[in-house]
Amino acid sequence: MLGEQLLGNLIQGLVLGCVYGAATMGLSLIFGVLRVVNVGHGAFIMVGAFTALLLFNVFGINPILAAPVALLIGLGLGFAVYYLVMQRLVQAPELASLLATFGVGLLLEETVKQVFGSEFRGYYWSVGQLDLGVTVLPMTKLYACAGSVLVAVLLYIWHRKTRAGRALRSVVEDAEGARVCGVNVNWVYAMSFAIGIGLTVLGGVLLTMFIPVGINPYMGGVYTLKAFVIAVLGGLASPYGAFFGGLIFGIIENGSYTLLATIEGVEPFALARALSFIMLLVILLIRPTGLFKTK
Amino acid sequence: MDEPLLRAESLTKRFGGLVAVKDVSFTIAEGEFFAVVGPNGAGKTTLFNLINGVLLPDEGRIFFNGKDITRLPVYRRAPLGIGRTFQIPRPFGVASVRENVAIGALFGRAAEKVSVVEALAIADEYIDRVGLQAHGDKPSIALTPVERKLMEIARALAMKPRLLLLDEAMAGMNPKDIDELVNFLKRIKDEGVAIIALVEHIMRAVAGLAERVMVMHQGSVLTDTTTEAALTHPKVIEVYLGKAPG
Amino acid sequence: MSPSRTRLERYYALLPVLGAYLVLFLIGNGQPDMWQLVAMLAFYCALGQAFNLFLGMTGYVDFGYVAFAGVGTYGMAISISHLSAVEGIGGWAIAIGLLLGATMATLLSLAVGAVALRLRGAYFAIATIGVNEGFRYFVEGARIWNGSDGIIFSRDLRLIFGRETATALSTFWADVLVLLIAALAGVVTLLFMRNKIGYALTALRADEDAAKVMGINVTKYKIMAFITSAVFAGLLGATAWALKLTYVYPPDVFEIHYTVEAIVIVMLGGAGTLLGPLVGGLVYGLSKYWLAVTLPGFQLLIFAPLLLVIVVLFPEGLVGVLKKKIGNRPLGKFIV
Repeated sequence: MLGEQLLGNLIQGLVLGCVYGAATMGLSLIFGVLRVVNVGHGAFIMVGAFTALLLFNVFGINPILAAPVALLIGLGLGFAVYYLVMQRLVQAPELASLLATFGVGLLLEETVKQVFGSEFRGYYWSVGQLDLGVTVLPMTKLYACAGSVLVAVLLYIWHRKTRAGRALRSVVEDAEGARVCGVNVNWVYAMSFAIGIGLTVLGGVLLTMFIPVGINPYMGGVYTLKAFVIAVLGGLASPYGAFFGGLIFGIIENGSYTLLATIEGVEPFALARALSFIMLLVILLIRPTGLFKTK
Repeated sequence: MDEPLLRAESLTKRFGGLVAVKDVSFTIAEGEFFAVVGPNGAGKTTLFNLINGVLLPDEGRIFFNGKDITRLPVYRRAPLGIGRTFQIPRPFGVASVRENVAIGALFGRAAEKVSVVEALAIADEYIDRVGLQAHGDKPSIALTPVERKLMEIARALAMKPRLLLLDEAMAGMNPKDIDELVNFLKRIKDEGVAIIALVEHIMRAVAGLAERVMVMHQGSVLTDTTTEAALTHPKVIEVYLGKAPG
Repeated sequence: MSPSRTRLERYYALLPVLGAYLVLFLIGNGQPDMWQLVAMLAFYCALGQAFNLFLGMTGYVDFGYVAFAGVGTYGMAISISHLSAVEGIGGWAIAIGLLLGATMATLLSLAVGAVALRLRGAYFAIATIGVNEGFRYFVEGARIWNGSDGIIFSRDLRLIFGRETATALSTFWADVLVLLIAALAGVVTLLFMRNKIGYALTALRADEDAAKVMGINVTKYKIMAFITSAVFAGLLGATAWALKLTYVYPPDVFEIHYTVEAIVIVMLGGAGTLLGPLVGGLVYGLSKYWLAVTLPGFQLLIFAPLLLVIVVLFPEGLVGVLKKKIGNRPLGKFIV
């Protein structure tokens, strides 16, 4: 039944969407604070994926435990990239930071390729599944979904309740004013960038639950595009918007594949991928500020 | 001359909960020098942005030469004859001083079509007039802040404006430079260009040039009258407590 | 100084550019085993000159740029494969292929531009990043132009021209055309720079809002630069890819790799300058060639940090640095 299939799709889409959302929050955070679009976003997802892969295959550590490790790696990478590259580009034209993040992403991809080779790899981790009638949900995906929600909640708490989070909000509101009030704006930028990257790498780990065999150095590109669609959907500067944008995107992506498969003479997989881009153009045309009015 | 050059009617602009410009109306005639005075945050620059089209008003209308330009796109206002300088100068980066000023000539009120070669010649003319002859070939970012202000004025004038919007043109200048600028502006005024100058205080320098003054406070007009009357206006003195004019 | 003499003098800067392409041709023509290298260098220079028309002059990055070359390739492929049945079509097939490629690139750029060019810097980059991928998957998914099977037209080419001429076309004339495209792109670049559009682009690149206040219709000029740049990409695809290889295959021509190379070439040489893409193309091409021999597979690993260094430390590129040093001396008027 198409109806049952669609309901099953909806659930799968929601589960996937949570993870998409969590993986995109970093992008929105970085743009919201630094006004920098991390064009190399996908490369950091890839780093997370490889982290999960290696920790599992080499050390037998499951992805749930790998996640915090990935977060730490991401934080370290983020600080390194900020202090080495991004810091000097705060005053430069937009072009510079776009190319810089692009270059960083490229560098990551090539380094990983040199070290690990460009073949596709994967790992297999299964802890049973949940039968919901209309669809079957592997527990791994459920864990990823739960992890994503947890991350989003933690970010929210950090953002709203801690001193660091308040400093961040003051800088977003008015950087000059914050500086005058004694906030170390550069440190806020560094911290935001690092957390943004950390979240992205973490997202990469969670995403491997959905693509356990597709891990390779160049996998990031697809995710960069999806992340942009999601981020724009949610309002480019809002991490929470990104989360909800992810949910919407997950549902649409899942549903569209099923629907497209019913049309004769098209290749649903390729067309579904083209869909991401069409969605992006449509949103940018009608509502570039995103679907939500979050602040 | 019945129709004033610029007429603003009940302009209001809000940013979220903040009212930056509140029910502001005034007129400017051709060749008039009009000073808008007010402390930071009084709404002066927002007013300029409305006249320029960088911002659109929530309420109210603007007429230039009888034409309603309230919602006209930014880039269409310059060819009508509205030129502007910025409070913090915005030179076109790597381009030379001459090229900067030529841009003003190329896209301004070209009653006849101006070619690039002609625009460069016009640029040289105005560069001379503001005293930057020695710097024509320099990249504009190499100029000192005062030189940048002068370049901006030259660039705006190369547009052959009928109305020149000067935003804090004298800020950061020493008295000698200010006197020179004042003389320069007098000559511009005599050539028929109307000028609106934004200043933070009613300085002696501006008082000599401006026939009329509009004092703004927190977005509203405090008074709009002749310079002498403004200087002795009780509300004005109250707002500027401790700031003696001159 | 009479106006016409001054006017002509302004175009002297073309001499080193055209001279360089002529020299390249003479080297390759004189030494047949160097032709491959010359062809590759010509391609990179042409790619750079074409991309520079947009990236260099507006400061906007079109991450989906290679899509324009991709449709250009299809234009030539479609023309040749469909016209081979027409008796005596001869060279017209090539001409139509070029025209078709250019037209398709124009149409695509209009479609993309209509959405993307209304957006500011970062949003524009985001919009374009998906163009390439999106268009490729659209072609494959909707099975347009044979979908993922692509078009092979070597047989059609031989049908039209006979074996000998067809081979000459693919191995010699295609590359000559690439050189001509590079030269033409250079000419157009200088035409832009010396005319009103160049000044408008300089202004909007430096400060888009101030440019609007100065009376510049930034959207109009962005579109002009965008379409021009796209057309050259289309022509490049039609010659360097279609004519040379006699087949078109979506994953090959919608390969983001080329956009990366275009970015590196333009930034390395000097974005927004006339000589920049030429210098960038030569340096990049030669380095890549040398690296392919000495350290194969390492190219991007070296160019990625190089790009970072350029962006952070030398954003004006090689020619930009050169201009600063000798811009005021007599020779400076050739370094544009």
